[in-house]
Amino acid sequence: MTDIPASMADVSGSGAGSRKLLIYGGRLALTLALIAGWEYGARTLGPLFFAPPLATAERLWALAISGQMLADILATLRVAVAGFAIAGIVGVILPFLLRRSARATEAIEPAVMFTMGIPKYALAPWLILWFGIGDMPKLVVVTLVVFYIVFITTFAGIRGVDRRLISMARVIGASERRISREIIWTSLLPFFFTGLKIAFPRAVSATIVGEFLVSTEGVGRYIEGARQVSDTTGVFAGVVIALALVLTINAILNAIERWALRWRPVERDMEL
Amino acid sequence: MTALLEIRQLGKRFATRAGRAPSPWVIQDLSFSVAEGEFLTIVGPSGSGKSTLLNIIAQTDTATAGDVLFRGTPVTTRDPRALKPGLERRIGYVTQDDNLLPWRSTLDNVLFALEVQGTLDQASRARAMTLIHAVGLAGFEHYYPHELSGGMRKRTALIRTLVYDPPIILMDEPFAAVDAQTRTQLQADLLRLWDLGRKTVIFVTHDIAEAIALGDRALVLSKQPSCIAAEHMIPIPRPRNVSDIFALPGFAATYEKIRAAVQ
Repeated sequence: MTDIPASMADVSGSGAGSRKLLIYGGRLALTLALIAGWEYGARTLGPLFFAPPLATAERLWALAISGQMLADILATLRVAVAGFAIAGIVGVILPFLLRRSARATEAIEPAVMFTMGIPKYALAPWLILWFGIGDMPKLVVVTLVVFYIVFITTFAGIRGVDRRLISMARVIGASERRISREIIWTSLLPFFFTGLKIAFPRAVSATIVGEFLVSTEGVGRYIEGARQVSDTTGVFAGVVIALALVLTINAILNAIERWALRWRPVERDMEL
Repeated sequence: MTALLEIRQLGKRFATRAGRAPSPWVIQDLSFSVAEGEFLTIVGPSGSGKSTLLNIIAQTDTATAGDVLFRGTPVTTRDPRALKPGLERRIGYVTQDDNLLPWRSTLDNVLFALEVQGTLDQASRARAMTLIHAVGLAGFEHYYPHELSGGMRKRTALIRTLVYDPPIILMDEPFAAVDAQTRTQLQADLLRLWDLGRKTVIFVTHDIAEAIALGDRALVLSKQPSCIAAEHMIPIPRPRNVSDIFALPGFAATYEKIRAAVQ
């Protein structure tokens, strides 16, 4: 047989190992440079304008052992994850329902695009009026922020599905449910994960901004409390916690994405 | 005896865009029939509406005029929403693109048809494995489509349709995109598989030699609006050796006749 499968022709060379080393080395160097710049800023501008890295680290340690860090993280995550989940589910289901009816799409899509322009944070005082100072106003803001991102990326994904695959499945006798569940859902997964990865940091940011305005706990509350007493080290520590939170969840999302998209050509083939 | 499939005065024109001259007929007054177990090839120049014809038979597109009869019963509809793609799994369709699902391995792509039809069991799975072996894909069952060569993808697409055994199989230039050597191999594979089951096949191609090598009978389509320009029985006995089809008696004369009819 003359056919040579593509994967056999593609011999993964020994370059892979040294390439990985280079990437990790680069990341480490970048982190060190960032910390050095941070230290330099603290030395030239003073601790009020730039909290020194060491002081920030000490504060983080103190927060960690006192248990306040965990309490604040959980309070922030509670709102961010709940809003993220609600918006994620609605933002995926709605485009799937709209797919079935061109008329409903024409009716609803402009409304979604129009309301996207509403500045969500500006709604906060009004939402507090409605829902009081509990989790609810923050939850609404987070849900709105995330919903539009997930909705738009999912919609784009559905529109980008290869029509030929759908036609093939229909000829073979697949039900519309099967087509939605397997072909459309799997085809739009890359879009979906892109949406989630854009949306999650925003969900955390939205929660933290909400906590600035009204709250008794959470990472945002801690940052705002520190700001009010000119405790720059506290502000920096809070920002580092928020950053770590986003990075951790993004790493989890990346792992889920890699697993869900394991059928795709490996990264090496996708290099630009 | 009624033909398995009959096409009667078929016509097709696509919807006219606002402000433009009425779109021309792509197919007009096209009639032919296919008998049970026949391997019919249809030759036509590119743009002669070959794919449109197969789309109408497979019910992925509507006809504007005329009828398609399946075992004597008209099955055509003018309403795109009333189309029954694949007409209840009785019409298999191997398209130009392999349209394999990129997230399914070779085996799972073949099993896809059985899964959606609810016929996946021990016996049908064994049948799928037999077909995979028959076309030389053994050892590649768990490869994803992007890891396969063009020829292997074509084979996978072919047996995905064969595995659920539809009475009619439509093929739209399935081997057009592969190199000549692989194509000869694929043609030989197809003939070998066809010999086992003798399914009814309508095979569309622009390659005259391919039409002769594979078919019992070859129809020649005219340019647009397309209709049947000529019909030729292929006098070459089976089993045929595809790789030296050119040397077989009867080939040259048939080739000349078809070439004269293809404008």
